[in-house]
Amino acid sequence: MTIPDASTQPQQATKPDELRQTFEALALPHLAHLYRLAARLAGHGRDAEDLVHETYVKGLAAFPSLREQASIRGWLSRILARLAIDRHRQQPPEIAVGDLQDLDRFSLYDLIWDEDPFPYSDTLHQDFLDQFPDDDVRAALLNLPDVYRVPLILLYVEDLSYRELAETLNCPVGTVMSRLHRARKILERELWECARRRRLVRSEDR
Amino acid sequence: MTKPLSCEQAVEQFFAYLDRALAGEPLNDLEAHLEACLSCCEKLAFSRRLDTFVKNRLPQSPVPDGLEARIRRTLGQTSTE
Repeated sequence: MTIPDASTQPQQATKPDELRQTFEALALPHLAHLYRLAARLAGHGRDAEDLVHETYVKGLAAFPSLREQASIRGWLSRILARLAIDRHRQQPPEIAVGDLQDLDRFSLYDLIWDEDPFPYSDTLHQDFLDQFPDDDVRAALLNLPDVYRVPLILLYVEDLSYRELAETLNCPVGTVMSRLHRARKILERELWECARRRRLVRSEDR
Repeated sequence: MTKPLSCEQAVEQFFAYLDRALAGEPLNDLEAHLEACLSCCEKLAFSRRLDTFVKNRLPQSPVPDGLEARIRRTLGQTSTE
């Protein structure tokens, strides 16, 4: 399939079928990236598939407004992220405020230091992380409330700036900043809880 | 020169620093604190390591069979409607 000339102008397609062919040629090569992003945002399976499917449908409808064809991957990723957020808008977005205050102060670094699970180690914190199978880390990520997981995944995968994240998620930059902070703190707390369940540490509730 | 940051104030800036979202005076203040505080340097290094640790464990999910065909089918129907 021939990819049409990469113009920086908005699409001027004359027929819907030509527009679709152009869109498919430019957008479908990014299917693997978009599916990976969807699976990270929504978990594996049908949810991720539906998210990607809907992204392409929305993408085709909005394609005439895309100004830079070279940026289509990021553009589609942002459509997908907005869809992911919209789908989960119905879910309770926050944990209790009292918990948030505790959360903001949570420090995995300090807890590992205090607990000292590897007393003879020169690389205590690294040794702690090395105990976790990949699946535990992935489960901790997937257990994050969407409102925290989505910006964190977009930051990790798409390397968006705070301003770009704010535009994508339709919220102020300050909200992005606090959600990214809390996303990481929840992850730290989940890893600590996981370590307790695995009896890597003995600590009681804190 | 503003008042030097406390360790608590410095720690609050770590994620923004790692995400390259700090600039100007806040960035200068944090870097000045880090130059003088080994403990905060170690905490920052752990935060950076934890980010990399999680990033490297994001699932690599292959595209399910049939998804591309499903998308092509829908797009074909959409453009002929």
